[in-house]
Amino acid sequence: MSARISFLKNPDPCNHLSNYKLRYGTDGYKSFQNLFSCFNDGRIKIKLQEIEIPRCSYCSVYQKRLYICLICRSISCSSHILLHTQLNKGHDIAIDVERSELYCCACLDQVYDPEFDEVVVSKQLVGLGMSVKSGADVVVAVRSNKKRRLDSQLIIGSKFLVSPRDRREKWSFPLGLRGLNNLGSTCFMNAVLQALVHAPPLRNFWLSGQHNRDLCPRRTMGLLCLPCDLDVIFAAMFSGDRTPYSPAHLLYSWWQHSTNLATYEQQDSHEFFISLLDRIHENEGKTKCLYQDHEECQCITHKAFSGLLRSDVTCTTCGSTSTTYDPFIDISLTLDSANGFSPADCRKNRYNGGPSVNATMPTLSGCLDFFTRSEKLGPDQKLNCQSCGEKRESSKQMSIRRLPLLLCLHVKRFEHSLTRKTSRKIDSYLQYPFRLNMSPYLSSSIIGKRFGNRMFAFDGEGEYDSSSSSSPSAEFEIFAVVTHSGMLESGHYVTYLRLKGLWYKCDDAWINEVEEEVVRGCECYMLFYAQEKVIQKAHKELSYQVISMADSFPFADC
Amino acid sequence: MKHSVNRPPTPDEDDASEGFEKDEVTLREIINVKLVESGEKENLMELVRDRLVECGWKDEMRIACREHVKKKGRKDVTVDELIRVITPKGRASVPDSVKAELLNRIQNFIVSAAL
Repeated sequence: MSARISFLKNPDPCNHLSNYKLRYGTDGYKSFQNLFSCFNDGRIKIKLQEIEIPRCSYCSVYQKRLYICLICRSISCSSHILLHTQLNKGHDIAIDVERSELYCCACLDQVYDPEFDEVVVSKQLVGLGMSVKSGADVVVAVRSNKKRRLDSQLIIGSKFLVSPRDRREKWSFPLGLRGLNNLGSTCFMNAVLQALVHAPPLRNFWLSGQHNRDLCPRRTMGLLCLPCDLDVIFAAMFSGDRTPYSPAHLLYSWWQHSTNLATYEQQDSHEFFISLLDRIHENEGKTKCLYQDHEECQCITHKAFSGLLRSDVTCTTCGSTSTTYDPFIDISLTLDSANGFSPADCRKNRYNGGPSVNATMPTLSGCLDFFTRSEKLGPDQKLNCQSCGEKRESSKQMSIRRLPLLLCLHVKRFEHSLTRKTSRKIDSYLQYPFRLNMSPYLSSSIIGKRFGNRMFAFDGEGEYDSSSSSSPSAEFEIFAVVTHSGMLESGHYVTYLRLKGLWYKCDDAWINEVEEEVVRGCECYMLFYAQEKVIQKAHKELSYQVISMADSFPFADC
Repeated sequence: MKHSVNRPPTPDEDDASEGFEKDEVTLREIINVKLVESGEKENLMELVRDRLVECGWKDEMRIACREHVKKKGRKDVTVDELIRVITPKGRASVPDSVKAELLNRIQNFIVSAAL
């Protein structure tokens, strides 16, 4: 296996295992390779014959935990396993039939050997490639309790501290909340600006003067600088003035950079988002001589939004895997009535005997599952396998190696078909949570789940402990939702912001507070999540400011 | 040592448990064989696993195991001991809805297999 998996921190083998290895090496393990039978949820069983029920050779039970001796292949239950090793000298090591895990009969305890796991896993990789079917049946990892928690949020609703002030009074709106005038189909820009202005790391960056337009070298030279334009916007948004603001300068600067999009036509909000971040990176990078390489870059864009994706391509013939890492600043998720469903939703339908998958609605977790699924590449996409030495069919799987501070999830609602030269919008409602735990989509979880209970450690991923139910860095809370309503050509973008536990609808110049249900029921297009700790920190900062600013800035009604 | 499905009960078994109990055991075995043959056993296993995960039972068990290991110390606990200690707790805390669903499925299966 050429996978970049390092074997660290293995428990020491007991004497019996060491002796066994000295005598037999890995031959015993390999002889079992054909008997391993893989299941969708990562479990590997030992199947001696197709339909035979394994039984203890001493007492015939089949209901207890059974172990198969590596040397003589006789099966014993947990009560008789010690007897087996006492009657047969040297028959110390066995394999748990249901789980394919090593067991020492003399120590009466589970033991671990990376070489054994390697043998098991390489069979599983091949098995995965061979047995994957297309369509909704593809299930790679069993969903854990995390899914239930995500969904239950939608029923119970999230609980947040609400300050006792009177919500109807506009002066008690959180600081920074201000409408943006539509300058001619510019709602796509307004929507993204609202989300970025209230992203805590970005807000802090600009408000603390880290890109001051008066001190900017590019601007003094008369060059265009988008971060400077943003500096103006931040200052205006947080000035306390509540009259709607016109971001004309930013629009003009952006047109100059992206001349092909300089029209009064409706643009794609997501496209604007990417290009804006890109410009910020360019300008910041040049001014401050930061690294140009995306992974190392310390510009505000990358500090806030940059994460790392892992892509594993596995040869279905020999099981060898090649791994690559790519940075990302957002994740685009496919939304399709067929694949928006999570594996658990599909299984529900299997239990009920129905083949149809349309009974439940698409969820965000379904889309994330689809994104991290093991995808069998078509016969026309054969890749060169290093160990086979020729082009072979392969399977590919994505997972997240490192999560960013701010996670932007883009729902691909606009479908452009090159063959048919048509575009369409996918209107289906997508259910999404306000609190999102990303640990099931991390590389350690995705790769770990493929192989059941194996001894893997992932270089540097120590902070994402997939065995604990929630790691602090993998918990995210939503802070903005950009929605699109209407048709492809003539739609409208609106942003919902969550500030201090309350939701505000930002529809160009009009801002009002709305109930949670409204946000849950909207047609989401871009979801902005921030790491838990970022939100918590922001809560504290905002409340301090509201108290002091509210007094000094009585404002005119909007 | 070879074994076969038709092997008679071991001499250790209580002779008094003949008749009714013996028939029940044989019936259970027949049902199990039918379940395995038809592949329904796998479906049921998957169903139970999913339900137990969904209702949080698996997480509860994991926490219980952790607690036990913390108490005894990592080096002193064996898998067998954990099984011995946690199994009664586990069996007791399976939700009734899961049991009912499983029972229902098995009943349906038996009915359809008998036809």
